[in-house]
Amino acid sequence: MRIRNIVFIGLGALFGFLLSRSGATTFDYYAGLFLLKDLQLLWVIGVAVVTGLVGVALLQWLAPNSLMQGAPLPFAGKPWKKGLVLGSLLFGLGWGLSAACPGTALAMLGEGKLAPLFTVVGILLGTWFYGWQQDRAARSNLAKSESTQG
Amino acid sequence: MSPVTVWAGWIGGVAIGAYLLLQLVLTGRHLGTSTSFGDVCGLVARRGFFTRGKFEGGPSWRLFFFVGLPLGGLLAFLTSPDAGAWTPHFEMGALYGAVLPRALWAKALVLGLGGVLIGYGARLAGGCTSGHTIMGLSLRNLPSLAASIGFFAGGLLAANLLFALAGLG
Repeated sequence: MRIRNIVFIGLGALFGFLLSRSGATTFDYYAGLFLLKDLQLLWVIGVAVVTGLVGVALLQWLAPNSLMQGAPLPFAGKPWKKGLVLGSLLFGLGWGLSAACPGTALAMLGEGKLAPLFTVVGILLGTWFYGWQQDRAARSNLAKSESTQG
Repeated sequence: MSPVTVWAGWIGGVAIGAYLLLQLVLTGRHLGTSTSFGDVCGLVARRGFFTRGKFEGGPSWRLFFFVGLPLGGLLAFLTSPDAGAWTPHFEMGALYGAVLPRALWAKALVLGLGGVLIGYGARLAGGCTSGHTIMGLSLRNLPSLAASIGFFAGGLLAANLLFALAGLG
């Protein structure tokens, strides 16, 4: 196996470990967050973002190359896209229903919590459905452009 | 409350913030998790969406990151005081455990529906809580701020409805 792949397994494990230590794999903290009764996870997210903001600003100033790629670090954020607001609301509904997000659902499995297995299968189905929808839209656009040209 | 060791929130926050910087400097990749579910779809798709664009060219780094996450959860449990008590189970804690249906098939339906919303919503929004909220906000990215507000609005709505319906709001 390539070293890159081993590094990313290790990084995934480190991130999963930190999510667990932060309480993000403990269902009750999600109830605390959404019912505004225990703000453990809000502290985690808030302080993580502040730490990230400071660190990113520092990295933009130092402008180092990435160690593995030897290329300048990317600082461009994700773009606006159609459906961003609707998608984020749907995501949130799922987040509140299942008390997990994509990363934490996977880390929970390692702790022996099996209920998120249903969530993980659901995420795969929802992801697949999005891809299917995109393919269908691409096919119908192609058919339309062929019929106007023909 | 939890069989795993949980740090004070701000310590966890500093650690996760430091993690995203480490990943960025080491690999030149932004933190993000939801796209890796598309890479898993790409393992079985022969053509179409999951074989093109960022999913092109077979197993990406994201797939290995995906595999690492459960290992991290296992490691966290095995380094907690109750390490010897590791056992697979379907319990969901005092609060969600009280409001979600008891029967496993019904629990599976609710969590499966939640998962579908998460998976579809993340692709439509272009990221999840790690990619948009933690990474995107660190980059001072406005679309990520909009997405994060949407995530929280949806979460507040769903959880409050769920607990109100169960008479526990």
